Amino acid sequence: MTESAAGPRSRHLRFLVARRLLQLGVAVLFVGANAWGWKILQGNLSSSVLLGTIPFADPFATLQLLAAGGMLATNALLGAGITAVVYAVFGGRMFCSWICPMNPVTDLANYLGRRFPWFRAGSRQDPRKPLARSVRTWFMALALVLSAVLGTAAFEAVSPVGMLQRGLVFGMGLGWWAIAGVFLFDLFIQRNGFCGHLCPLGAFYEVIGRFSLLRVIHDHKKCTSCWDCLRVCPESQVLNLVSKGSGSVLSGACTNCGRCVEVCHDDALALTFRQQGIAQSSGG
Amino acid sequence: MALSRRDFMKQAAAVSAAGAIGMKVAPEALAAAQEAEKGWKWDKGVCRFCGTGCGIMLATRNDKIVAVKGDPAAPVNRGLNCIKGYFNAKIMYGKDRLTQPLLRVNDAGEFDKQGKFKPVSWDKALDVMADKFKEAYNELGPTGIGVFGSGQYTIHEGYVMSKLVKGGLRSNNIDPNARHCMASAVVGFIQAFGIDEPSGNYDDIEYTDTAVMWGANMAEMHPILWARITDRKLAEPDRVKLINLTTYTNRCSNLSDTEIIFKPQTDLAIWNYILHEIVYNRPEMIDQEFVDKYTVFATGPCDVGYGMRSNPDHPKYTELERETMVKQVRKVLSEAEGKTLAHLGYKAGDTMENKRAAGAIKHWIIKFEDFKKGLEPYTLDFVAELAKGDPDESLESFKAKLQQLADLYLEKDRKIVSYWTMGMNQHTRGSWVNEAAYAVHLMLGKQAQPGNGAFSLTGQPSACGTAREVGTFAHRLPADLVVANAKHREFSEKMWKLPAKTLNGKPGSHYTKLLRDIEDGKIKWSWVQVCNPWQNTASANHWIKAAREMDNFIVVSDVYPTISAKVADLILPSAMIFEKWGAYGNAERRTQHWKQQVTPVGESMPDVWQAMEFAKRITLKEVWGETKVDAGLTLPDVMPEARAMGYTDDDTLFDVLFANKEARSYKWPDPIGKDTLNTLAEGDKRKVAGFEGYGFFVHKYLWEEYRKFGVGHMHDLADFDTYHKVRGMKWPVIDGKETAWRFNADYDPYVASKNPGEQFAFYGPALKAMPAGDLAGPIKGDKVKLPNKAKIFFRPYMDPPEMPDNEWPFWLCTGRVLEHWHTGSMTMRVPELYRAVPEAVCYMNGSDARKKGIDDGDAVWIESRRGKVKAHAELRGRNTMPPGTVMIPFFDERVLVNKVCLDATCPISKETDFKKCAVKVYKA
Amino acid sequence: MSGAKDMDRNETGRREFFSRLARGAAAAVAGGVVWGGLVREGQNAPLALRPPGALSESEFLAKCIRCGLCVEACPYDTLQLAGPGSGEPTGTPSLKPREVPCYLCTDIPCTVACPTGALDLALVSTDNGRTLDVNQTRIGLAVMDYHNCIAAWGLRCDACYRACPLIDKAITLEHTRNERTGRHAMLLPKVQTDVCTGCGLCERACIVEEAAIFVLPHEVALGKVGDNYVRGWDEVDQQRVNPDGGAADQVDQSGAGALDYLNDGVLGGEVDDD
Repeated sequence: MTESAAGPRSRHLRFLVARRLLQLGVAVLFVGANAWGWKILQGNLSSSVLLGTIPFADPFATLQLLAAGGMLATNALLGAGITAVVYAVFGGRMFCSWICPMNPVTDLANYLGRRFPWFRAGSRQDPRKPLARSVRTWFMALALVLSAVLGTAAFEAVSPVGMLQRGLVFGMGLGWWAIAGVFLFDLFIQRNGFCGHLCPLGAFYEVIGRFSLLRVIHDHKKCTSCWDCLRVCPESQVLNLVSKGSGSVLSGACTNCGRCVEVCHDDALALTFRQQGIAQSSGG
Repeated sequence: MALSRRDFMKQAAAVSAAGAIGMKVAPEALAAAQEAEKGWKWDKGVCRFCGTGCGIMLATRNDKIVAVKGDPAAPVNRGLNCIKGYFNAKIMYGKDRLTQPLLRVNDAGEFDKQGKFKPVSWDKALDVMADKFKEAYNELGPTGIGVFGSGQYTIHEGYVMSKLVKGGLRSNNIDPNARHCMASAVVGFIQAFGIDEPSGNYDDIEYTDTAVMWGANMAEMHPILWARITDRKLAEPDRVKLINLTTYTNRCSNLSDTEIIFKPQTDLAIWNYILHEIVYNRPEMIDQEFVDKYTVFATGPCDVGYGMRSNPDHPKYTELERETMVKQVRKVLSEAEGKTLAHLGYKAGDTMENKRAAGAIKHWIIKFEDFKKGLEPYTLDFVAELAKGDPDESLESFKAKLQQLADLYLEKDRKIVSYWTMGMNQHTRGSWVNEAAYAVHLMLGKQAQPGNGAFSLTGQPSACGTAREVGTFAHRLPADLVVANAKHREFSEKMWKLPAKTLNGKPGSHYTKLLRDIEDGKIKWSWVQVCNPWQNTASANHWIKAAREMDNFIVVSDVYPTISAKVADLILPSAMIFEKWGAYGNAERRTQHWKQQVTPVGESMPDVWQAMEFAKRITLKEVWGETKVDAGLTLPDVMPEARAMGYTDDDTLFDVLFANKEARSYKWPDPIGKDTLNTLAEGDKRKVAGFEGYGFFVHKYLWEEYRKFGVGHMHDLADFDTYHKVRGMKWPVIDGKETAWRFNADYDPYVASKNPGEQFAFYGPALKAMPAGDLAGPIKGDKVKLPNKAKIFFRPYMDPPEMPDNEWPFWLCTGRVLEHWHTGSMTMRVPELYRAVPEAVCYMNGSDARKKGIDDGDAVWIESRRGKVKAHAELRGRNTMPPGTVMIPFFDERVLVNKVCLDATCPISKETDFKKCAVKVYKA
Repeated sequence: MSGAKDMDRNETGRREFFSRLARGAAAAVAGGVVWGGLVREGQNAPLALRPPGALSESEFLAKCIRCGLCVEACPYDTLQLAGPGSGEPTGTPSLKPREVPCYLCTDIPCTVACPTGALDLALVSTDNGRTLDVNQTRIGLAVMDYHNCIAAWGLRCDACYRACPLIDKAITLEHTRNERTGRHAMLLPKVQTDVCTGCGLCERACIVEEAAIFVLPHEVALGKVGDNYVRGWDEVDQQRVNPDGGAADQVDQSGAGALDYLNDGVLGGEVDDD
């Protein structure tokens, strides 16, 4: 491993810690609302109410329900709109790495896979023919089609993300098996398998996050081509500009997790808003 | 994924829909059932719960009760049971059953009032108990100790305790919880008829045309009798009328032709209205021959107070409490009282000094003209105005109902039965209301005939059999004898083979007074058996404090940890009903015996054993010397005569009272107890405290000795063996035959001997020589003898001592629910019953609640001058309250409603009025 | 680490591209079938009891976003969000009255909390949603199993009746004589279908081992009468009539239409020859 940090360790992990805190914080608030009646953030990631007034709703779940033929009430539509706008304008696919509770699970699998390669020693995975990233996009489309056919939100009915995020608040039931399945799949069968290849929710945010303001920018002049960033990136294809040229990561698939920025000991990467990013790259 | 239970239920529904009726049991299923029942032994028993007295059959296997069935041969219930009876098999096996003696001890293991409960041996427990008894007895004499008894004692237990306390310890401080439940009925019976208990029986239901419930929620409290009333109604729906008089809509209203919601306490005014209607408007309806031949008129004093403490300045009471307590001494008369007491020269606004509180029981004979004069105010207009209980009902509608009620009573050939339970008994004028009921029935000649009569329904399974017939009250001896009567004492001393003058002639403290005495430090040792005084007695905050903060020693014998056990110093684990031989007497004078079915659990032992082991620790010389009772009474030293009778100083009370020569003549084994456990006679497999049995048939001895009190004295009971062969018998049992209706020559052999040639004889011997007078009081002169006569009382309406006002705007009524028994110590431990009704709620009127922002299910405080309690508001459901009244059942110790209730009593019967006090209700 | 080997290499040829496309499509179709099956299986829970105000099960599933806001709004912990493996669509709310019934809060917080309208206030209110009326709740219908009901044996139980918040309306007592004893009546609890809210307080209260009165969804508990006949004595019942004429079900007894049948010979056993 070459993750020895140039800066202090806290700086090296600042995004990771912030993400975990946010994920935990959101989960704690949801749990608190259910268990102790806190009125800060009620509901769950499918639909919630902030401070008893501002509605949020999972726009993809909402789309599925609309496809299923449900004429939804205003609250849900408003909530979905607010959520979609927040991600589309600001955070991009940030949900996946900053909010989604499945992210720590798949990150752990990814970490173990890197740390102990023998986990993947017997894997049939052919690095030349990995499971296509586009599968999740197919699944997203499929989810909408199935929702229409079955008259219910088809992904929500089977979603391991849903099972986990609801389970944390309302009780897991057999949901642990689904989570374990995702973890083992990612660890043994396909690196970044679930989030990177299968999850239609991720695909959905990839689509709407395409033009968001928050971006990773790369400064080619500082890059020493150590490839540390690509090793930690769960969507490594988005960093295709690394060591090639300066600029922003423009792919919607980037989850803005900031790991690449943290591990870069050359200060060649930064997480920033598009305006600044453009200014910087044009200035450099 | 397991098959969903709902799937299963769906199938069950389908199956049942297909063939609920006429389903045949396949022979294989029957055979399987028989196989499963192998090793079961069935024997008869009686339901542990209410005063109805349903017969049950018990199955035991491997020394455990495994099943129960209603006894098809039992005349009361014919194989049926109610929801509580259904669970008789489960009440004994709660998880927290008490199985070891528990004593408060310090670190050294010695008794310490401030210590924590720790298990101790039976020997240690009984030794400490006896030592503490002697301390209190030597310091304070016979009134320094007290025993809380029960209407749920078996007859044997009550008899043993009565004999031990009165005959052995020379104390009359034993009183049963039946005081809270039946005392007013007792006074009514004794004062009206000279003998306790109803003239009729349950078969009146099948004979009558009219059942009027006066404060009897039979649908919930006497469920099987309600099924019989319902059946009677169904048999002749047009002829049979049911009237439900109540202070709120209860489950009897559902089937009743008319529901009369009256204002609390005004039932007496309604009775008087009926009497007014008879005497003033339709005198031709008086059964003149009956009245002339068999009755006299009577009345008593009114300035008698409300049974509260006579000292309202008692230092342990607050200013708020004193606001009510002061009425014990004097009361300003209300508008209504100004009218109803006008015959005594009072008018509204006058202050009545309650000078005759101590003489409340006195009464005298009056003339019909006086009787009529007293009734003058009770016109329809006056009573309707006074008694209308639902503000939302129109006066006209209420009047019409009262008129209808009177019409039914007065209808010439209409048979009518009046039923009441706690509504009339728990009443600051409870004895009076009971007497008013008899007055109406006697005036119309509708008493003591099949289908005609006033019938007091007992609450407890042996309120009649034990508390009343055995006489475990503070003033009574067996078979209606009383301690205050020297002849009765003499008779009892002979029966019990005691030296003359052993018995104490001064009545002891009644149940509530026992607690007041503890609070005042006048009682320092008490023993609680088969009851839960610290939950069931009003003003509970005082008694809880007194138990824990005063210098005293409280022993509680119980089967589960109750509030009373919690405040005790020593807890003795008792055997439950089917773990011992026993007998109960129900509300219709039916005595029913059962045999011991199983060995008691853990180290629990029967109460009779506890009493006898305690008696072993008391020697004659410790209690039979000269003993001062109070300033006016010193009991003489009876040891010289005792020695002359062959007793020695060191003989124990056990030797003399329970294991004497006669007792030992009842041999065990006995054919009637073949193949039956008998812990007392032969011990049992546990050998608790090394006990291997007394070697004689204790229960048979107790029974045979006890029944001698009543034989030939109108209380004849059959011999022990007979009761084990039949499904109970209604006393008096004469020549092996039970008596269905007393005082009526067609059914009661005593009438022929007491009043030859007459149809009726109200032959009860008590209070049958009375002074005569007018409404104001007795006039000096000879007492009038009243052989075979019943008394028709005039009793005026008077307000209760505490009524709602601006500060305390609601009436609070307490009561029971079908699912739970009394303080819930047994039924709250049956999971199914607990689930059905897990908590006591506060029933409340919807518009009252809305005004206070209370919604259904909200937690509310119910607060009185004495304390407060929190409960969930219930605005719908089984009881519908009129505006201004709330109701809370008392079964739930977490909703200890007796902290709120007022311990005012009927001044004669000393029975607490749990049905009314003033409270405020607000959102918690 | 052998990071370089793990990396994607940009040497995808045309054939590989099509191969991957085909693989993806095949996987999508196969996945869709499996996925759809899973969803269908989860949907197949007709016995789920939904919160007050819930639409019909199919409409409900098309609208429920599975957020649990209704569950959190319930002050009695009555509502549970189905976990995976519960046999009900995961994440959807339901209640099990035997454990915790619905206490019919007059402010119906669960229905009010629903963001999507899967719980519809219009169904539990009057004046077009202006006044809440919790008694209009139709969670399901209480169904009696008289075979295991001890009141039907003649015992005095009727715990369900007394537990009913709409006592004497939703559950009434039917009084019949007990011919066996000759002197007792049976007090039989009877559910009034048009009033029962399905709150399940009766089911919770039932004192036999497995409740003999239990709430089932209307779809399961009720039959359905065709609209070819209405109760002549009931004005409201006429609303059941299908304005388009109804009676769409047809049986062609003759098998070949009336004319063919009539014109077919009847002599000489031709009928049998068919």
